[in-house]
Amino acid sequence: MALGFGLGFSTLAIAQTQSPDAKCLICHTKEGFSKIEPDGRKRDLYVDTTIIRASIHGKWSCTDCHASVTAIPHPPEVARLECTRCHFAGNKVGAPQGQLYDQYRESVHGIAAANGNTKAPFCQNCHGTHNIRRPSDPLSPISRSRVAATCGGCHVHEYAEYRISIHGSAVEKGNKDAPVCINCHGEHDILARSDPASKVNVSNIANTCSACHASEALMEQYGVRSVQVQTYKESYHGIATKFGQKKAANCASCHGVHDILPATDPNSRVNIANIPKTCGGCHQDANANYARGRIHVNAENKDSGIIYYIAFFFKYLTLITLAVLIFNILLDLRRKLGSKKHAK
Amino acid sequence: MNQLTKDPSQLPDDRLSQALRKADLDPAEHYNSAIKALLAKTTEAELQVVVESLKPTPVETTVVVGPIREQEKFLRFNLSIRLQHATMAISVIILIITGLPLKYHDAAFSQWFMNLIGGIEVSKIAHRIGATGLIFVGAYHLGYIAFTRVGRRDLMLLLPRFKDALDALQMFKYYFGLSQVKAQFGRFSYIEKFDYWAVYWGMVIMISSGSLLWFNQIAMTYLPKFVMDIATVAHRDEALLATLAIVIWHFYNVHLSPGKFPMSKVFINGILTREEMEDEHPLELEEILGKGEKSGASRIGGKK
Repeated sequence: MALGFGLGFSTLAIAQTQSPDAKCLICHTKEGFSKIEPDGRKRDLYVDTTIIRASIHGKWSCTDCHASVTAIPHPPEVARLECTRCHFAGNKVGAPQGQLYDQYRESVHGIAAANGNTKAPFCQNCHGTHNIRRPSDPLSPISRSRVAATCGGCHVHEYAEYRISIHGSAVEKGNKDAPVCINCHGEHDILARSDPASKVNVSNIANTCSACHASEALMEQYGVRSVQVQTYKESYHGIATKFGQKKAANCASCHGVHDILPATDPNSRVNIANIPKTCGGCHQDANANYARGRIHVNAENKDSGIIYYIAFFFKYLTLITLAVLIFNILLDLRRKLGSKKHAK
Repeated sequence: MNQLTKDPSQLPDDRLSQALRKADLDPAEHYNSAIKALLAKTTEAELQVVVESLKPTPVETTVVVGPIREQEKFLRFNLSIRLQHATMAISVIILIITGLPLKYHDAAFSQWFMNLIGGIEVSKIAHRIGATGLIFVGAYHLGYIAFTRVGRRDLMLLLPRFKDALDALQMFKYYFGLSQVKAQFGRFSYIEKFDYWAVYWGMVIMISSGSLLWFNQIAMTYLPKFVMDIATVAHRDEALLATLAIVIWHFYNVHLSPGKFPMSKVFINGILTREEMEDEHPLELEEILGKGEKSGASRIGGKK
């Protein structure tokens, strides 16, 4: 007790002459400083000051964030810190803040956390704790190159599929265009898939994919046909989805979700050998006939073969028939109206 | 007038009674004397006008130009044909209304319509009800032209003949003022024959492709996907052709054409007047009047 007091007194003296963090660091810089959580897990309480000093919060002191610590030594239970201490609209210290926290609060994560789900993420679960950095910094846990792994910390199965998908492997190779989790799901505004406003709700999937896949300039670089979005929208699947049919196929129904692979890959759901199985997800007894013909067929393109010529035939049949009929109507009208005039 | 005085309570509440009451005179007491006073001041000419006005209105006399004749009526379409037409018309209207929003799915009208009726699942059921009606009427009509005497006779009269080409030529001459006489048509003009056979084309395309799309899973057990794509394109494009032909051509001929507006009633009652027969089907009229009633139409009322 006396020793504890003495230690406390001497650190206070150091704190006054050095930095406000010095007192905290007396304990937290000791290698192996840790405690056992009630669930039996060991919690590392060691702080590597080089990490936090290199982070965007490097200039702040411990208690700026860990505000519930008001005396040293502090009680063993420290309240979870609140980023909104600084990150609120109109704050004086210049912490960036838009509507993001409000978005988070209404997101699937925010709602789960508010409902007491202990696994639901708070800000620091994605953004990092002492290692917090700008999103553009490659070392940030939410940077393009690392965000998938960050999400994958909880969403293990999805991350495993995504890593080997065409999108995930491209991102890993440093591609700047391929989507990471947040491009499809959103960031702070991630909503449950069942929510009609979700970017990955069945009604919105096609729009979400077309953000990239409808761009001719972008798709050209990768040899992907941008017309696929349009042909889907023209197809019965696309039309039915548009008019509120929930069962009709969207992009993900056939191409997969996290495990999207190019059709040339034998593991792809849309590889010609796998099409019967993929179609069979909805169409019972789908057979090889489902693969005999183009899927994203465009009747306006000569590539489509007979389908192009059928559409061509009907187009001209309609034009010629109507021209003849309207010509007849005009002749008839001219004669009937004309003869009336003469008669009177 | 004497009756009026017998029961003063039954005096009419007319201008005279009102005038008397206004002058603080009892109508029951003064009505008769007031009438007498009025009559005394009425000239003979004025009295005559009143008496004349009481005579029953004479029937208006009409000026007859030419011989008077009761309009003769001819039954052009029997009840069966009229019911077949009605079934087909209702089916096609349902099919067009529920089909167009799929073809023009980007149009604001389509979204509005789908919201109105409750989504594509409802529209799909309605479309299939229309399709059932159309298939039924098609099958029924085939039976009608195969197994009924009138049906077989009409079918024969609907077959294209060389005269149709000559008629068309004559009509073009008439339209361009090269001739002052119209072609003389029998029971079916070349235009009506075209309309009839155009429906066959439409029915074959729409029912065959539509059936493939309706029963797509069964169809794809036997047919490759590209056949389904052909069916989709054919169904979509022929639908537009049929719709435009109905809305522009058929509606012009039976609704909008001068003399027909707002509509020819022959599709309801099946009847043409003698005047219409003379104008549109003179050869058939001649046949009916000359050789008894062998042709399609039959005289049903009025005699010369």
